[in-house]
Amino acid sequence: MFKAMIKKEFLLIMRDKQALLALFVMPAIFILIMSVAMKDMFSTASVSYDIAIVDTDNSKISKELLSDITNNKSFHIVDDAVAQVIINIPKGYGLDASNQHKIELDIKDSLKSDSIELFKSKLLKEVVNQRLKIIKNRLAEFSDEAASSVEAVSLEDTKLFNISYNDKKDIPNATQQSVPTWIVFGMFFVIIPMSTIYINERKQNTLARLSSMNISILYISLSKTIPYLLIAQVQMWVMVAVGMFLVPLFDTPALEINGSISALVLLSFSLSISAIGLASLIAVSANSTEQATTIGGISNILLGAIGGVMVPKFIMPQSMQTLANISPMSWGLDGFLDIFLKGGGVLEVLNESFMLMLFGTLLLGFSMIILQKRINSGL
Amino acid sequence: MIKISNVTKSYGDKNALDNLTLEIKKGSIFGLLGVNGAGKSTLLSVLNGLTNIDSGSIKVFGLDIQQDIKQIKTISSIIPQNLAFYEKLTVKENLDFFAKVQDATKENYNKAITINNLSNLLHQEASTLSGGQKRRLNIAIGLLNNPQIIYFDEPTVGIDPKSRNEILDSIKSYKDLGISVIYTSHYMNEIEKICDEVAIISAGKLVEQNSIKNLTTNLESHFLDMTDV
Repeated sequence: MFKAMIKKEFLLIMRDKQALLALFVMPAIFILIMSVAMKDMFSTASVSYDIAIVDTDNSKISKELLSDITNNKSFHIVDDAVAQVIINIPKGYGLDASNQHKIELDIKDSLKSDSIELFKSKLLKEVVNQRLKIIKNRLAEFSDEAASSVEAVSLEDTKLFNISYNDKKDIPNATQQSVPTWIVFGMFFVIIPMSTIYINERKQNTLARLSSMNISILYISLSKTIPYLLIAQVQMWVMVAVGMFLVPLFDTPALEINGSISALVLLSFSLSISAIGLASLIAVSANSTEQATTIGGISNILLGAIGGVMVPKFIMPQSMQTLANISPMSWGLDGFLDIFLKGGGVLEVLNESFMLMLFGTLLLGFSMIILQKRINSGL
Repeated sequence: MIKISNVTKSYGDKNALDNLTLEIKKGSIFGLLGVNGAGKSTLLSVLNGLTNIDSGSIKVFGLDIQQDIKQIKTISSIIPQNLAFYEKLTVKENLDFFAKVQDATKENYNKAITINNLSNLLHQEASTLSGGQKRRLNIAIGLLNNPQIIYFDEPTVGIDPKSRNEILDSIKSYKDLGISVIYTSHYMNEIEKICDEVAIISAGKLVEQNSIKNLTTNLESHFLDMTDV
């Protein structure tokens, strides 16, 4: 009997094209788009600028500056037409010690203000370095000691600062952020097929008919939960595959699973129970599929916004990060990041998994009570 | 025999069944006549154990509705007014599903198909069937467990006269198979055509119960009173 009920549920889901699109195609496309779109934002590689240099001075000093800039990996020399910044070294620059002949920077509109500041600091470093070199050479004529003390001055950050990156590994790249985000969000879209089938069954009295055939509400609920649990696992692995194999085709970092597969299975299972629980509750409470998909859509977006789907949690202010902890999507995301980023195992995701399972089981219980009441309230 | 004694069922302030007492003979076709909201569907829900009663008692073939409901469900079947099957499944997939959840025998499965003339439609998706064919599928599902009692909740709503007559004829034939039929409708002509006995209910109360012959003479006046025409 139970096998027949599960088979029926699978047949209905597989014939619901919109549901399959929402469960598989939508999150896969989102992963692809968001990973590629955010790859620079999440990139930990050095920032570089496309520049063109016009050396009007053509002096020994300007040529040295030009050479220093060219050798700096932060700058790529390109044609004027495509340059983000055109650097013009004015005539008389080499002879000037009083900043009367300033270097001119022609900055394209596309460059953001924080990038401009970064660019100026990188260029400033080269200019100051060259000035120090000139001062050192002039001082050397009078005092070797003074010249060597100037030479000892370094503008390299590694020589000026002791930097430790305590949390560096916690910041994901674009793919590590996108894949878990859209796995979590996609799983919660189970509301679409679930509510469609549930509400049609209720409205058509098919559920009441099953109940009149001695099929308990527990069996009815379980027969719906199991197929969606399996579909959610397939959904998760498809999204992981998109992150591992499809995303890199677009010059974006591939997803790496640094943690254990068992942890991934446990977390995915717990997350799907949570998503199915919420979907069941909405499906049995709503009066129409339109109502269910609207309530489901809004609750998904709200839970996603709070839980770090729309804006990554690590760039949220502390107060919002605390608030995020009320969303099951946040628990799921944290668990996935623990696995993908920190190499977490089962123990590391146990807390999130337990919370997700508890949340889902409670909602499934509530949905069974509501369904029983609705069936009892009339055929 | 189905014995309904002083049954009351209310939803909030409204009494759907109000101290209702009825007796339905085994093997008969019993009509429940009443306007919309009279309590017919609630009575069917109660008889199928889908809704609990507030007070009173019901015995179905000697079985108590509250203590023996599981057993009662195995010997009865309800044909809901709505088309309670899966539109996205084929006729066969629907029948297979409902047969398996009830452990129906192959013999009953084939009988349900034959009686309802569905052999040529087995591989057709249910959503593509005509109104009459859908009704026949709805009824066939109700026959799969070889019930001793079938409850029909206005099974001819929204179908053409030809299909309606086919369905009424098939319902009449169940009597020959020893099946008791409880048939709700608000069409007097349907009740007259197939039923042996009729009960008229209004606002959850029994107005009159009688044989079709005795009732026909004064039914019109009752019905007019009830609908305030």
